[in-house]
Amino acid sequence: MESNEKELLLKAKQGDQFAFEQLVYRYDHSVLSIAMQFVNDPDEAKDIYQEVFIRVFKGLKKFEFRSEFSTWIFRIATNVCLTHKSRSKKEMKVSIYKDSTDESDDFSFKEIVDNSVSPEEETSSKNLGEFIDEAVGNLSERQKITFVLKHYEGYKIREIAEMLNCKEGTVKKYLFDAVKNLKKQLKPFVAYQI
Amino acid sequence: MKHNEYKQMIHLSLYGELSEEDQKKLKGHIELCEECRMELEQQKYFLTMITENQKYKVNNELLNEARAQLRGALRSKKTKSFSTFPLGDKIISLFSSPPRLAFGAVAILLAGFILGGIFFSKKEIIIQNGNQTYTKASFSLADTRITNLQFVDSDLSDGKVVFTFDAVKRVKLNGKVNDPEIQSILTYAMLNEQNPGSRLNSISAMENYGNITPDKEIKDALITVVMTDENPGVRMEALKLIGKFNYDESLKQAYLFVLLNDSSSALRIASINALIQAAKSGDQLKQNDIELVMKQANEDDNNYIRLKSKTLLEEYN
Repeated sequence: MESNEKELLLKAKQGDQFAFEQLVYRYDHSVLSIAMQFVNDPDEAKDIYQEVFIRVFKGLKKFEFRSEFSTWIFRIATNVCLTHKSRSKKEMKVSIYKDSTDESDDFSFKEIVDNSVSPEEETSSKNLGEFIDEAVGNLSERQKITFVLKHYEGYKIREIAEMLNCKEGTVKKYLFDAVKNLKKQLKPFVAYQI
Repeated sequence: MKHNEYKQMIHLSLYGELSEEDQKKLKGHIELCEECRMELEQQKYFLTMITENQKYKVNNELLNEARAQLRGALRSKKTKSFSTFPLGDKIISLFSSPPRLAFGAVAILLAGFILGGIFFSKKEIIIQNGNQTYTKASFSLADTRITNLQFVDSDLSDGKVVFTFDAVKRVKLNGKVNDPEIQSILTYAMLNEQNPGSRLNSISAMENYGNITPDKEIKDALITVVMTDENPGVRMEALKLIGKFNYDESLKQAYLFVLLNDSSSALRIASINALIQAAKSGDQLKQNDIELVMKQANEDDNNYIRLKSKTLLEEYN
């Protein structure tokens, strides 16, 4: 931990609001970016951002420098993301009824395949980015956070393991499964393009 | 080394996560293997496609909005914490900065109205709460937490004032567990209560009663808890309770979900046991489900689960 950050932390722990803000500004862009990729909604992302830094604010007095401050913040951020989505009632209703009725796990892309609509026709009314967002949104919570942290945010597998408090092998598995799942969902586009 | 392992290495290589030695191994293999060369190209294309079509990026406007909201939230947290200060400090702190000054003014005004209402009962205070309007006489402020006070009419020339606020009051409810209203509150609590202990108690209350109403909403709520609650203890308690409902497709899907996704081996074990129990009673798995269980039978970290998954496949399906 660089000495400047440690000084800021010590001051923030004693209630110095300016020091706390300086600490927030070092990491808040990344936290907001993770939240944004995770929920795909600016308002929800801001809610997650706020929840993360309020938890940091509340927990600062107990922070004992046993880990890097950044690791601690991002661990809180991943936890808040996982909790945020998992406690979303709307999201769950979708997954319960889909799981109980769908024969395949192709989610909404099943329609595209079944109706034999080419990706070209489909993308004329819907942006490819929207399909990708939907596919990422259909990943399990842990696959999604792992994919977001690795693919969009570029963290090392070792760092993600620290954030999620699990083994590197587990992170790799989430990542492989996430990409496999995304490929399956976006198959029409991939097959069409390559 | 198998193709599958090289494919995983390709993946790690594109993310810059492969050791130098493995990178050399992969390079050597790719020169000889057409299939893996294709895989590399496809994977590269796929990951680039996802990156290039990224819909949302954080811009300064959004970041500034988030920062402004955070400042407001932190201010409100700090304001709350003043309530623990001694009275003298509290009064001084109310005037130490502009936001606190504003808060202090509103608080004193509110206190003035309440005291005025108590000591000078002829003066009327109208309190509007949502669509309802109360007069001071019909609304008790005892034990009520007041937040978000906003004036509708602050003109004192006619001696009257109108304001709105959120009033939160603690309610003590005494009733039987099988009462539908009690169950409805417990169901809400198991889904929404912040404190995991309260969520756990809500589920335990229904479980210990033993004779739960076979209500679809309760069952759906429990399935939601099983699949999404962050706390494994709460998930386990909900899993036990759904076992009391009649076994059907939604329960089967919930057990399969837990078996395939839950990080806790205890929950996965409870799920595979429930699936075996259902299979013994004649409920067979569909082909799609069989494939999922088969995957688990090969890949689960836990020996017992692998063994039981195989048992489920071999003996009952």
